[in-house]
Amino acid sequence: MVSWRKIINTISLGASGDGCHEKVKLTDRDGLRKIGIVGNPNVGKSVIFNNLTGAHVTVSNYPGTTVDVARGKAKIEGSEFEVVDTPGMYSFLPITEEERVARLLLLTEKPEVILHVVDTRNLERMLPLTLQLIEAGLPVILNLNMMDETESAGVTVDIDKLEKELTVPIVPTVATSGRGMDALRKRIIEYARN
Amino acid sequence: MPEIKSLRTDYDGPIESALSSISKLLRGHYGISKRMVALLLLQEDAEIERQVKEQEDENYKSIQNILPEVKSSYGHPLTYIIAMTRQQKVNNVLDSVIATRDKSDKGFAELLSRAMMNPLSGIIILFGVLYFGLYQFVGVFGAGTLVDFIESIVFGEWINPWVSGIANTIIPFQILRDLFVGEYGLVTLGLSYAIAIILPIVGTFFIIFSIIEDSGYLPRLAMLIDRIFKAIGLSGRAVIPMVLGFGCDTMATIVTRTQETRRERIITTLLLALAIPCSAQLGVILAILSGDGWSLSIWVGVITLVFLLVGFVASKAIPGRGPSFYMEVPPLRLPKLSNVLTKTYSRLQWYFFEVLPFFLYASVFLWLGDLTGVLDIITSWLEPVVVLIGLPPEASIAFLYGFFRRDFGAAGLYDLNTAGALVGVPLVVAAVTITLFIPCIAQFGVMLKERGIKTAIAITLFVFPFAFAVGYLVNLILTTLGVAL
Repeated sequence: MVSWRKIINTISLGASGDGCHEKVKLTDRDGLRKIGIVGNPNVGKSVIFNNLTGAHVTVSNYPGTTVDVARGKAKIEGSEFEVVDTPGMYSFLPITEEERVARLLLLTEKPEVILHVVDTRNLERMLPLTLQLIEAGLPVILNLNMMDETESAGVTVDIDKLEKELTVPIVPTVATSGRGMDALRKRIIEYARN
Repeated sequence: MPEIKSLRTDYDGPIESALSSISKLLRGHYGISKRMVALLLLQEDAEIERQVKEQEDENYKSIQNILPEVKSSYGHPLTYIIAMTRQQKVNNVLDSVIATRDKSDKGFAELLSRAMMNPLSGIIILFGVLYFGLYQFVGVFGAGTLVDFIESIVFGEWINPWVSGIANTIIPFQILRDLFVGEYGLVTLGLSYAIAIILPIVGTFFIIFSIIEDSGYLPRLAMLIDRIFKAIGLSGRAVIPMVLGFGCDTMATIVTRTQETRRERIITTLLLALAIPCSAQLGVILAILSGDGWSLSIWVGVITLVFLLVGFVASKAIPGRGPSFYMEVPPLRLPKLSNVLTKTYSRLQWYFFEVLPFFLYASVFLWLGDLTGVLDIITSWLEPVVVLIGLPPEASIAFLYGFFRRDFGAAGLYDLNTAGALVGVPLVVAAVTITLFIPCIAQFGVMLKERGIKTAIAITLFVFPFAFAVGYLVNLILTTLGVAL
């Protein structure tokens, strides 16, 4: 999203000459542990973000709605996390400015958990990024989103097997209806405790 | 992290040996595995190269020496080789994990999706969307029916007389009374422009826009328009900021970040500032021109021509390579009513809270200007230009409004038109000029931030005289041809 509220901030920041908006903020604001949400454009990152934080960022059916970094707080089983929603990225090797922002964020803010959200119907195009996140040694949880559309397209995924192959935790969800979100929260907190 | 052996992608021999020798040389801290740093170095990642250069003073040279050797082992760029290996790995993994029931029945959605991207049927669908969505719903219903009702009934018959009555009884001074209910009054100008003219138009636009964006139509439109956009140095990727621009150019200028090259971003920013009217402006213009098909067609024609021409010239003048285009096409979905309403609401809320104070400040400013005579001086500067392009002198006030905000200027035109002071050829000329005319203050602010001071000022300095020049030309052509509208 660009939340429209954020644009007001942008405009007022612009007026006051505060340039920090452009760059990813490097400071831990509250010293909270972080969850970073990454993935291709238009896979439902912002819906997951809204779901985890209870915020209302704009969600659309086209890629590139989130050109900025959205931040919010999530409380999971009593622990508070800062959730960071990134612009879409196709690859760990950035081409566009948004991809650069997304990667810089992963490198500088070092989230405790990186949630890679994917459109399950197109796993063959989505998983190369998962592979790269694993290669980079980052703490990845793979979130197979849009399970409903996947099922109605006649595609079934053997999740246990995929989990063994990839060596990372996998959680299926339908973020728009909230299906699987509790399981996702549970996996996040388990992962963060280790 | 738990000691589970994590998945490893194995690359071709020369790449693997380069990866291990680079990894051994790396000493710094990068926040990611050394193997990944090495992989990114092989792929000429500029950011990582810079970091490695900073952190590995003595080893940097040795690392650099490894690179050309690996590169020369392959006929393709390493990025390609590495991506292919990774894809192969993914395919292997997925082979045993995914099962697809064959569903050859593509259904209506697939058919519609293709029709939207087909050059012939796509254009027809586009015109349908524009006609029903923009013209009928925003122009006729929003800017016509709703505005009429709120302006003439709610404000004209209820609020204004009521507030005037109160003002007349409790405020003893005419001057102070004018601040609230005069020609530039807070209630009679500021509040009524914001609520009666702008709100219904922007509201109806946001409803349509939310429905369109949730349906998945925009990426298909991008595919359709890609070819035309290539001619003006843009790709289909520019469609989204452009369409968003019809909602609010300020917001759209921020979204140009999704574009690949700096050149593309500059061209899009320029075109947004010049030839894309925002929803409020568009609605008002549709409303005042909709009475006459010819006037509307001339306006649409001139703006489209300017858009294409300036885009074309800019793409020739601004150096850099043409864009490539690749975009995900998401499935067509039936928009969810709750999501459409939430989005419309949050956008409207944002818009309204941005606009309302602004209109109120502007009212105060104009009231002050009127009181001190400054307003007359400024309009007298604008007057010759306005008269030169064939408009009545009173129109200069609308252009002054336009400095503040695009929609405010258009609302000024609306007032003049309903008062009968601006009709026929001058009306079309005024509509054209005010559409092209200067980006509003907020948009200018975002241009400064996103494109830098030089580009922002250059664009503004171009747009300002260009708008009047086009207005002058349109007036000249129409009057010479003896067109009566």
